[in-house]
Amino acid sequence: MQAAQENAIIWAMPFSVLIVDDHPGFRAQARALLTAAGYEVVGEAADGESGVRVARDLSPDLMLLDVQLPDITGFEVVRRVHSEPDPPAVVLISSRDASDYGSRIGRSGARGFIPKAELSASALRAVLEGSRP
Amino acid sequence: MTPRRWWLAALAVAGVAWILGGEWVSIHHGVRENHLIDALGGLAFLAGGIIALDRRPGNTIGPLMIAFGLIGYLGNWGNLNVPVLPLLGVSIGQWAGAPILAQIALSYPTGRLRTTFDRVVVGLIYAAAISVIVVILLVFDPRSAGCPACAWEPAPFPSGSAFLAVTSGFQRAGAALVLLFLLAVWRRFRRATPAERWDLASLWVAVCVIALIYLLGAFASPSPLADPFAYLIWELQSLLQISLPVIFVWGLLSARLARSAVGDLVVELGRSLPPGELQASLSRTLRDPSLELLYALEGQERWVNARGQPESLPGPGAGHQARTVTVVERDGRPLAALIHDPALDQGLVRAAAAAAGMAIENERLHAEVRAQLEEVRASRQRIVEAGDRERRRVERNLHDGAQQRLATLALSLAMIRDRAGAGPAVAASLAQASAELRQAIDELRELARGIHPAILSEEGLPAAVESLADRSSLPVRVVADFDARLPEPVETAAYFVVSESLANVAKYARASRAQVELSRCNGTLRVEVRDDGIGGADPGRGSGLLGLADRVAAVRGSFRVDTSPGGGTRVLAEIPCDA
Repeated sequence: MQAAQENAIIWAMPFSVLIVDDHPGFRAQARALLTAAGYEVVGEAADGESGVRVARDLSPDLMLLDVQLPDITGFEVVRRVHSEPDPPAVVLISSRDASDYGSRIGRSGARGFIPKAELSASALRAVLEGSRP
Repeated sequence: MTPRRWWLAALAVAGVAWILGGEWVSIHHGVRENHLIDALGGLAFLAGGIIALDRRPGNTIGPLMIAFGLIGYLGNWGNLNVPVLPLLGVSIGQWAGAPILAQIALSYPTGRLRTTFDRVVVGLIYAAAISVIVVILLVFDPRSAGCPACAWEPAPFPSGSAFLAVTSGFQRAGAALVLLFLLAVWRRFRRATPAERWDLASLWVAVCVIALIYLLGAFASPSPLADPFAYLIWELQSLLQISLPVIFVWGLLSARLARSAVGDLVVELGRSLPPGELQASLSRTLRDPSLELLYALEGQERWVNARGQPESLPGPGAGHQARTVTVVERDGRPLAALIHDPALDQGLVRAAAAAAGMAIENERLHAEVRAQLEEVRASRQRIVEAGDRERRRVERNLHDGAQQRLATLALSLAMIRDRAGAGPAVAASLAQASAELRQAIDELRELARGIHPAILSEEGLPAAVESLADRSSLPVRVVADFDARLPEPVETAAYFVVSESLANVAKYARASRAQVELSRCNGTLRVEVRDDGIGGADPGRGSGLLGLADRVAAVRGSFRVDTSPGGGTRVLAEIPCDA
């Protein structure tokens, strides 16, 4: 009962999000979807290098990260972000299926994976809650 | 008979007379020695020298052998009680043979001393021999040598003790010269190419004999008739020397013997020769284990080996790497190239190539066909690789284009659907549209995966096969004994073998389960897919299994399908994966 109350408190707070994806149309839709769900989208990045830089500058709570980026892979971005102090939670997204990446998602250090077409506030919450230690 | 042969015959008669006459003098004066061995030694050198002079007229080995055979008989003739002869016998007769023999050995078989070191060694031996001859001419006293009644004047400074001291001293110094001589021979052996070493085999035997003779002589008394041990060595020397002319003549005539080997080659080629065996036959005939045979491709300036693989002609090289290229032509067109040891007799190489002409032409045609097959295989591999590259490009385009747009569209629909204010009918339509869109996205994803599996590029073969097993409609067990990455064409070919085989199992086999085994052994990837279905798969029917066989062949692999009614099906592909 106490844990549920804590969760409720956490999810009631504004949750800052950084979206890293090379497709502007998808970023715009994701921003709209997350904002409508009560998240605060603090920034966007179109490639991996700038994603790492913006994450360092803005210190978001959550990073929504595409696996296929034009410069470096999402897995490499997770590795670099996690080498910084106080890293954000990272959720990987892709238009491919999780099975297309085998065990790499599990080994990457990301909180979880959501196929892009299935992205929603509830899917995001499920991933974050499911991976909470 | 040619005039030259008449001269040689006359020389032979005179030589025999000189030797037998000398031997008669020794017998007549009661010299204690084995006259038969002595005569045989001289006659053997004379005969060997005359044969060498006949067969190799420009070669100095023949005259040197004759000189060696005759000069020793000065000693026999010296037993005649006439002026000068005894002196010449104990000086030139006894000491001039060694440098001649050393010259024969180091200049064998061409008759020319090749290096400065060889010339210095032979020069030193000549100088030592001449020195001792001069000293003997000055101090020899026939009375002290057992001939008090000799009717001729002794040397200018006769001294029996000085003669003995000088001759025994020089004999011992001779041991050092023998070692120097052996060093020269060793240097020559080290520099020799494999074919030269073979050709000089008789020389190595002769050298051992010569060294043995003179090392023994160095520790014997200079007056063999007075000392039983020295006498024994002396006879042994005579006995061993008989073998030397035989060895030398054998070596000199070996090229002639090799020509008869060309005859054997012709007989050998009369039988049908397995493909690629011609090189071994020529190598045996010419006694050059390093010999290589390359073939010219018709109308192209390219060379291939018997397997049809491209090769290039070597440069001249040096030392052990020195190679000579003999191009075999027919009607002015290059047919083949023999790459061989420069020491080989060019005439012999050409004779062997001419004898093998028809076989070379046949092998060249075989090699050309193999080269064409290899080109076809390489071309097929390039086509498959180009197809795979295109597959990856299409999959990437689908991922970056249509799949992204559809994913974005799905988000938009979800947002519209979640917005308040939409009536139930609109909400139902939106839900329907979302479901259709989800279906389209799934189908497109499956299509993209079939075109090229992203996980194969991302994670490698075992992970990609695990993913196939996870999505299969029946239980599939995957056993892999490696997780390392393999060359991309190998991974792709192996993946499609598993993918197509599992698809066949699901469609036709009525199996309850399947197993995929991936293993690597001795540079080969082994892919085996087994099921417990009804069997009866026919590789000859339909394009699926045939296409797999082609795909595996393109990466030099083998592909097999074993199946029996009711006994399941086993698909086995073995692909070289070291490249």
